[in-house]
Amino acid sequence: MDLPAPRSRAILPVSALIALSAALLAILVIAALSYRALSARTEAAGAVNHTNDVEDHLHRFLSGVKDAETGQRGFLLTGEEHYLTPYQLALGAISTELATLRRMTADNPMQQQRLDGIAPLLTAKLAELADTIARKRSGDEAGALAVVRSDRGNVTMERIRQLVDVMLDTEQRLLVERNAVWETTVQWSSYVMLGGVAVLIAMILMIGTVASRSFRSVESDAWARRVQLALTAELQGDLGLESIGDKLLRVLVDHLGAQVAAIYVTEGKTEGKTEGKTEGNGVLRRIAGHALAPSIGRDPTLRSGDGLTGQAAKEGRLVHLRDVPADYLDVSSAVGKARPRELVIAPASSDGVVQAVTELGFLHHVDAVELAAIERMSGSIAVAIRAARDRSRLEQLLEEIQRQAEELQAQQEELRVTNEELEVQTHVLEQSRTRLENQQTELEQINTQLEDQAQSLELQRDELTRTGAALQRANDHKSQFLANMSHELRTPLNSSLILAKLLSDNRDGNLTAEQVRYAQTIYAAGNDLLILINDILDMSKIEAGALDVRAEPIALARMIDELGHTFQPIAKHRQLALELRIAPSAPEVLDSDPTRLQQVLKNLLSNALKFTERGGVTLEVAAGDGGVRFTVRDTGIGIPADQHEAIFEPFRQVDGQAQRRSGGTGLGLSISRDLARLLGGELRVASAPGQGSTFTLTLPGRTSAARATTGRHDAANPPPVTPHAAGPAPFPDDRDRAGPGTRTLLIVEDDVAFARVLYDLAHELEFLAVAATTAEDGLALARSASPSAIVLDVGLPDRSGLAVLDVLKRDSRTRHIPVHVISVSDHQRTALEMGATGYALKPVDRERLVEALRQLEAKFTQQLRRVLIVEDDPVLRDSTARLLAGDDVETVTAGTAAEALDQLRGSTFDCMVLDLALPDRSGLELLADMARGEQAGFPPVIVYTGRALSHDEVHELERFSRSIIIKGARSPERLLDEVTLFLHQVEARLSPERRRMLRDARDREAAFEGRRILVVEDDVRNLFALSNVLEPRGAIVEIARNGREAIDHLHARPGVDLVLMDIMMPEMDGLEAIRRLRGDDRFTRTPIIALTANAMIDDRDRCIAAGANDYIAKPLDVDKLLSLARVWIRR
Amino acid sequence: MTARMPGAPEAAEAPEAIDLELPALLDAIYHVYHHDFRRYAARSIGRRIQTALIHFRCRTIAALRDRVLRDPAEFGVLLRYLTVQVSDMFRDPDYFRAIREQVIPHLQSYAALKIWVAGCATGEEAYSLAIMLREEGLLARTLIYATDIHPESLRIAQAGVYDLARFAGFSGSYLQSGGRGSLSDHYAAAYRGAVLDRGLRQAIVFADHSLATDSAFAEVQLVSCRNVLIYFDRQLQDRAIGVMRDALCRKGFLGLGTNETLRFSAQAAAFCDFVPAVRIYQRS
Repeated sequence: MDLPAPRSRAILPVSALIALSAALLAILVIAALSYRALSARTEAAGAVNHTNDVEDHLHRFLSGVKDAETGQRGFLLTGEEHYLTPYQLALGAISTELATLRRMTADNPMQQQRLDGIAPLLTAKLAELADTIARKRSGDEAGALAVVRSDRGNVTMERIRQLVDVMLDTEQRLLVERNAVWETTVQWSSYVMLGGVAVLIAMILMIGTVASRSFRSVESDAWARRVQLALTAELQGDLGLESIGDKLLRVLVDHLGAQVAAIYVTEGKTEGKTEGKTEGNGVLRRIAGHALAPSIGRDPTLRSGDGLTGQAAKEGRLVHLRDVPADYLDVSSAVGKARPRELVIAPASSDGVVQAVTELGFLHHVDAVELAAIERMSGSIAVAIRAARDRSRLEQLLEEIQRQAEELQAQQEELRVTNEELEVQTHVLEQSRTRLENQQTELEQINTQLEDQAQSLELQRDELTRTGAALQRANDHKSQFLANMSHELRTPLNSSLILAKLLSDNRDGNLTAEQVRYAQTIYAAGNDLLILINDILDMSKIEAGALDVRAEPIALARMIDELGHTFQPIAKHRQLALELRIAPSAPEVLDSDPTRLQQVLKNLLSNALKFTERGGVTLEVAAGDGGVRFTVRDTGIGIPADQHEAIFEPFRQVDGQAQRRSGGTGLGLSISRDLARLLGGELRVASAPGQGSTFTLTLPGRTSAARATTGRHDAANPPPVTPHAAGPAPFPDDRDRAGPGTRTLLIVEDDVAFARVLYDLAHELEFLAVAATTAEDGLALARSASPSAIVLDVGLPDRSGLAVLDVLKRDSRTRHIPVHVISVSDHQRTALEMGATGYALKPVDRERLVEALRQLEAKFTQQLRRVLIVEDDPVLRDSTARLLAGDDVETVTAGTAAEALDQLRGSTFDCMVLDLALPDRSGLELLADMARGEQAGFPPVIVYTGRALSHDEVHELERFSRSIIIKGARSPERLLDEVTLFLHQVEARLSPERRRMLRDARDREAAFEGRRILVVEDDVRNLFALSNVLEPRGAIVEIARNGREAIDHLHARPGVDLVLMDIMMPEMDGLEAIRRLRGDDRFTRTPIIALTANAMIDDRDRCIAAGANDYIAKPLDVDKLLSLARVWIRR
Repeated sequence: MTARMPGAPEAAEAPEAIDLELPALLDAIYHVYHHDFRRYAARSIGRRIQTALIHFRCRTIAALRDRVLRDPAEFGVLLRYLTVQVSDMFRDPDYFRAIREQVIPHLQSYAALKIWVAGCATGEEAYSLAIMLREEGLLARTLIYATDIHPESLRIAQAGVYDLARFAGFSGSYLQSGGRGSLSDHYAAAYRGAVLDRGLRQAIVFADHSLATDSAFAEVQLVSCRNVLIYFDRQLQDRAIGVMRDALCRKGFLGLGTNETLRFSAQAAAFCDFVPAVRIYQRS
């Protein structure tokens, strides 16, 4: 590679300089020679002239002498003075001429010498002349003539003439000589001129050659630079390899005139190699081609070392091929192909690494300059390719970095979610820890209780051992009696019953009315007897624990009345006074089994009447011992104390006499006592002989209706809820899995079979289920298992189901649980009043049970929130209620504090909105009442008042409950927000239900399933298109042709889920239709999407202004329309 | 049964098994529930499936797939794991400041505005924009679409009730973003909760929309889609950006998350930088 030479200061190339110097020298030589020749010629010419001058002057000199002689002769002859004038003139001229000659021949000593010879002669001659003249003048003419005749003058003259001739000859000779010199000089200078010209021409030719060469080199340089510049210009900017390839080829083809070209880049392990060769396994990939034959285009890769190209790449040397192999890199065009004459394959390397190989085919000869240019460009190409590679690698790295940044961000986000989840879990754990602690405390209590129970069990066991023996005896009696009597009694009884029936029917009409009545009495009595016998069988059932008791509310007054009807005739007959009394303290309604209770009371009354001779019998019903006390008092014979126990034993009476006298089985008291126990009460006797007897039946239980008279009292003192652990399940149920957050159904039902049915049904409906057979177990489970819903039977062995319902509704832990009541008798009203969700009469079929469970499910999933609004202004009350009411909010209003308290006692509320100014009491007092009376739940209270509250008042309010918000501003919006917040808080406490998720996870494609979409459009083709899009997705497409039809349609068939409204329509346009719909309360929330025909922004704004929810421009983009519809379709 | 601490994997599936099973699970989800997670960034979705495996106590993805396909309710739970639902109000205050100071002056010129918050999660970002628009006097003529694929989140967003404890942070960001008043002007707080103002809630339409399967649905002037693209692979990113490009009007604005960029997107040519520092682009 050329080292860059320091910038040359030379103004010309050396060769040119030499040539120029030679030329200069030649010119100088020529000039010198010419000058010399010229000066020689001038000299020669001067010499000739000089000679001529000298001759001339010699002639003039001679003629001057002659003139002088002539003048002298004339004078001499004539004496005439005027003949002397030429003489006079000649004298001056002669000396001048002589001086001139002397001067002119100063360089010629010979001539000088001759002049010197002339000078005395002249003097002599002149002297002779002057002598003659003087003689003449003086008149000595003869002397003068003598002198002349002496010939002296002539001789002198001759001598002078001779000398002048010699001089002339000399001068002539000199002239010839000088002419010869001149000739020579002229000839020589011609030679010099010719030679100089020849040299100059040679020099000019030489300089021309040099200049031409340098011009050509400058031109090639400029061309190469232009190519280089074009290349550089093309390679500007961030280019990819392919575009670089294309551009490179374009430059090469344009500037070099290549007909066919291709550029390959090296790939594989060429990077970082120090040697200028690609690895043996390096691959060349063609990135661009120009006019390549299609056959070449197939495989764009070459292996390094393969073919010429590969070889060039491998060796890193330029290959110039003049004899191109056949078919190698043919030039291809649409009309045919040609073989290039010459081929250049130039590897381009940068830092010793071959980056690319350029292959160029030419139809013309490639000269060295082009080759050099190609070679030079290769460097740029290599740099560009490498830069492109680096750039693309950089780009890749940047992209990778971006990817990593995104990944990092995603991880951060995920981490945040995990963090939040952990926080929630921590919170949940905290809660469950608290719950566990509570449970532990409860367990400890239960433990203590169990210990107590264990003690009492021990006592009971002792008693049992004693009673066991008695039981054995009684059993013996009973078995014997049953064996002997039962059958034999029934047989005749049946006959007499039939006969009595026949008699009472009085078919022949021959009996008196009295006789008929007797017959009826016989029939009735017989029936009683039969019942009694059945009782005996009952008895064994009771003892086997097989008799069931169905509790239901009993209207005591009616029952007592009935008893009166039954027994008054008997008393009257026995002339006894029978008094039936209900004490004021007694409840109106008692929860118990009416049949059994009646049985007991009848037994007691008939016994009393039986064993009383005179006096009277009293039945008194009164409250007592936490229940109801029935006291039957008689004035009969009395029973000795030692017999008190015995009379309750089956088949025993005070004495045999009485039994015989009074008749009867002696079973009554025994059954009565058993029944009393079965009803949860007890039967006692107080008596002494002659003092009469008092039988007292005490039954537990209160009733709901009792509140009418004693409600306040009762409500203030709820029955103590004794911690009670649930008994064992009647069958394996889900109590291990039940708990807060599960969908658990509690079944309280003593009929195990029916409970089982409910259990299975619950599973079918994806509930967990727990079952209890007694009221106590039921209550315990309601608290411990956190059921979502309860199915409650009224007839439970220990307490009435209604009592259970009451307890449930008074306990803050259980009152939110919806309860469905099932009973054989109709207590619907009572149950519903007490807060039951539903009521079903037994027997219940499966469908009704399913419906009941669904209703319960709906109840607890719907999460209806109840809001109590306490406000004295009726208008405001109503409007507030309307404001707050919604799908899931039920509002209850109260105008006074008393009403509010009633409502709070009666049911539970999620939130209470309170006006401080009430007619009967101030809101403050109401809150104080509420805080005092634990009976009613204390819901969160929003104090909503028009007047500003003083600081003290605020403080006072906050004293009552922390859940108080005071809102001075009477802004309905604010109020709504507050209530929303409360209700949300309630909701947030609940764990997410399965059902909700089920709803959420629904198929995204199902958004249109069964939805009604009204398309308002007058263009049939559009209608067709819209239907084709919407109907396959399950939507029901309804059609209106203009705005008016749309409005009519919506009025006739409301409940459309989405309206697609064209704007341009006949009769009534879309904008007008939308405006009218929005003006109608029913349609303010119906989603409407306007279909605008033209894309004017203005139009769209008008759609929105008219009340459309959004618009979509025609022509409709199906995907866009579906997406928009999905967003808006009513959920 | 003992409670298992979260994060203690019961059985982590071998990575190669995930590579094989994961696409099958995502395919199945797509075909049964039409939720398309197939083009989500593989590593991220892999991690989330791992977490879900722990929750579902499934040993393998195949087991999880069986469960999820059998019971839509289980899918509802899984959906919560597949999407990352996390957001704050005025998160990245610089972004909101740029929207307020540089984008809103442009938006002022529209008579009716529509804004689309794509991937709104639990709605914080949509409310932040609504608050800003209200303060700039634009809310009355603005309709904000906030979309997500996760119904549970949409419901939370719709309610507009958030834990009050978060509002301290929100307020700080609000002020940093150039808030003109106090954030508390826009919510009512009580019981450790805060509900956003009714007017804000009414300005926003929360709806189900998937960037993976749905197309643009309205012409909007601003799309804010922050920290959504990071969960997508390049191809899905291009699709999502394409949907947003289709939705944007000419000269409309697109805001992305701090670590997201259009630079490598196939759609890059359709946008030019507007505020590069906070990744706000303008449709050209």
